[in-house]
Amino acid sequence: MLLKYVLRRLSIGLVQLLGLSIAVFFLIRLLPADPVSRLVGMNASKEAYAQAQMQLGLDRPVLTQLSIYLGFQPDVAPGLLQGSLGVSWVTGSQVTAEIAAYLPVTLELVTLSFLFAFAVAVPVGMLSALRPGGRADKGVFLYSLFAGSQPEFWWGLLFVYVFFFQLGIAPAPLGLLSPMTTPPPHITGFILIDTLLAGQPAKFVEAAHHLMLPVLNLTFVLSGPIIKMVRQNMLRALQSDFVLYANSIGLPRKVVARYALRAAMAPSMTLIGILYGFMLSGAVLVETVFSLGGIGQYSVRSVLAFDYPAIQGVVLVITAISLIVYLLLDLIHAAIDPRIAY
Amino acid sequence: MRTTSSKLLCSAAALCLLAGAAAPLHANEILILSEDVPAGLDYDGPSAAIPASQQGMVTLLEPLVGYAAASTNDTGVTVPDFNTFEGRLAESWTFDAATLTWTFKLRQGVKGCNGATFNADDVIYTFQRAKSVSGAAPIGWFLSNVGSIKGFGPEVFGDDPAAKDIGDAVTKIDDYTVEIRQGEPNALFLPVLTIFGLLIFDKETMEANKTEADPWSHDYVNNTNAPGFGAYCLDTWTKNEEISYVANPDYFAGAPNVSKVTVKRVPQSSNRAVVLQTGEAQIATGLTPREFDSLRSAAGLKVGAVAGNENTFLHMNFKVPPFDNPLVRQAISHAIPFDQIIANGYFGQAMQWQGMVPSSYPGYKASAAYSYDPAKAKELLAEAGYAEGKGLEAFADAFRLSYVSEKESTLGPIVNIIQTALRDVGIPASLDPIPQTQYGDRQLVKRDLPFAINDQEKPIGVDAGYAIQLFFVTGDKGGLNNMVNYSNPAEVDDAWAAARVEPDTAKRDAATSAIQDVLARDVVWLPIVEYKTQWAHSDKLSGLRWYPDNSLRYYDLKMAE
Repeated sequence: MLLKYVLRRLSIGLVQLLGLSIAVFFLIRLLPADPVSRLVGMNASKEAYAQAQMQLGLDRPVLTQLSIYLGFQPDVAPGLLQGSLGVSWVTGSQVTAEIAAYLPVTLELVTLSFLFAFAVAVPVGMLSALRPGGRADKGVFLYSLFAGSQPEFWWGLLFVYVFFFQLGIAPAPLGLLSPMTTPPPHITGFILIDTLLAGQPAKFVEAAHHLMLPVLNLTFVLSGPIIKMVRQNMLRALQSDFVLYANSIGLPRKVVARYALRAAMAPSMTLIGILYGFMLSGAVLVETVFSLGGIGQYSVRSVLAFDYPAIQGVVLVITAISLIVYLLLDLIHAAIDPRIAY
Repeated sequence: MRTTSSKLLCSAAALCLLAGAAAPLHANEILILSEDVPAGLDYDGPSAAIPASQQGMVTLLEPLVGYAAASTNDTGVTVPDFNTFEGRLAESWTFDAATLTWTFKLRQGVKGCNGATFNADDVIYTFQRAKSVSGAAPIGWFLSNVGSIKGFGPEVFGDDPAAKDIGDAVTKIDDYTVEIRQGEPNALFLPVLTIFGLLIFDKETMEANKTEADPWSHDYVNNTNAPGFGAYCLDTWTKNEEISYVANPDYFAGAPNVSKVTVKRVPQSSNRAVVLQTGEAQIATGLTPREFDSLRSAAGLKVGAVAGNENTFLHMNFKVPPFDNPLVRQAISHAIPFDQIIANGYFGQAMQWQGMVPSSYPGYKASAAYSYDPAKAKELLAEAGYAEGKGLEAFADAFRLSYVSEKESTLGPIVNIIQTALRDVGIPASLDPIPQTQYGDRQLVKRDLPFAINDQEKPIGVDAGYAIQLFFVTGDKGGLNNMVNYSNPAEVDDAWAAARVEPDTAKRDAATSAIQDVLARDVVWLPIVEYKTQWAHSDKLSGLRWYPDNSLRYYDLKMAE
């Protein structure tokens, strides 16, 4: 039953991706600039312009371009059906290869940040709800005043100034490794995993050290809404009939709290899923501050350069990941909440 | 709960203590923090217009000729002598005016990074590749065309394959002698040979990496390496992140002093400044004027600055009313507080621009010394029928001052000063930041930007005539970047057409000088400032030299022990 549900969701996801691909294909062509001009630069003679336009394939009718993009004309160029997202108009590299290089950086950053945020936010939110007005609750209030009042890049720059420039306990914000360190062989693209697979523990430590501040930065920002959500849901759960009943029959406080937490977690997971999808591209400011070549930076660069193949590729991949995350969340939801069955 | 919290704290503390010692720099290795690294290394490729890509090209490849050094300024930056060419890969040359033929004697014993020996075949390959116009943006062809090299006309874009053949335009006399023929006299020939778009490739390595679909190895150069005979060889390259070069021991001028150069992309300029201050890097580029100013007095650092060819000007489109009214253009020219922009926008590292081409270029004439005089600006507006600005509100859209949004940190303060000054005289200016690509499209292709501030036009051909040809000749007569739709057939187009092929230098200079007077009279551009090109660097580093493409040549750098 579960397998059938997963397959159905995946099939719907594929249709969604196809629809989105076509929509994005047309939408980016409505952008108010002609990408050919960036290519020709100072050499904007009619002949050179036509040459550049031909190189980009923009001299063909739009429907022909769509057909090539979808992969229906593999003799011209491979397309989606052949597993190709095209060639970047900025770098001349395959978009799939570029995304494969940039996406793991962001996934690693965002996933670690969510794990830490989750580890901090759930107990803090729970404590805050169990003792309203207590120290934890006041602390949450104060924290939300600080963390929520400034954007993440501002905190990032402050962290760099304090932890790197003043205290010297963080490395320079120069990416995942020092520029003078030879990176491990690219296996998965996840630096912490690749350093271990390559048997280079010193580089693993170096990468972890470099990830420390950006992860702390994102954790700091992400924890706020998660704590609030857990606290609210926990408060609601604590006031529900089954908790009142549990209290009235004298169940231990810890047991009651565990029951309430389980009830509170389901809606919190939904928020976490939405936040995760958002942060895949929303982490761009943190990536910029810490010089991490992630998918967020790649997206921004592609949009600013009107690099159609790269924009199409990024939207497609991020949407696919979001769909998978939502599917996983639904499955987790079902595992937490026995009322849900597939 | 306490246990969980303690564990979390311990984990965080442990992570803090994981001070992984990064590999230190060795002596004579430097780290450069840059806003970008090369997106490609092919000057006929899609990333040729990106300055970071050009920096990569000039590091790996070498031109036939270059400019000799002139003097070193008080910030330690050497400037070129644009009147004296010196051999780079070419040892010497002669010119036969009767046949318009240049004969180049090439250096012997020069080796590329892959061990190939430089010779005439590499030169012919480079020009043949340029003439193939097989890349996305054929810069090599464009420059050859600008220098009037025989056969490099628009016909190469047609279907006739013979038009793409190099023919006798570039011929091999022997392994170390080549002849290059021009189709007509043109003083721009040697200047274009110095530019990044005609750097010489290593034919042997290029051909080893060609494919049937890509016989001129564009993919290889775009994504893997640009094989040539430059001072450095490519070590590692991760696009969007980092590139490193190691010294080429067989460089024609001897092995470079700096043995390894690593360029790291650090998008946040404040981070580039902060890391430079800690001593972890040796050079930071692309900082804001304010950041350069703050580093000028920082311990252990210097800021090299040179008045090169970077400038800022106001663009007013002749096809958009009310900019078709000369009195309105003149009024605006007197409404700009030049000194305030120099002090607050550039922290003193600029001077009022008084001409239409860079003042460092041969043939420059200081013909556009507009003064800040708001009273006169109001008088001129009144004369134009817009007393106190009444009537100009109908042109609110035209007065939207466009600028590149990615340059907000540099241009933001300047456009605000201009907006305030214009409003003070009654002009309803507003601000319109737009992305670089959109700006470029509207400037170069659509040419429909009504009013804009531009700080990115650096004519790479070092010659007043080249700038006139590029920016001020009527669009359909070859003014490829005539962004303001200026057209003056008699005084500019025809005058330049005659001057372009004038072999007598004095007569040519007189003609370009007269054209500059006309441009200033018509306020074709409103020149505001020439700002200095700057690099912040360790005080142990010396030897910085400025080139018209504003890229460093790492070969010039010296690290103190």
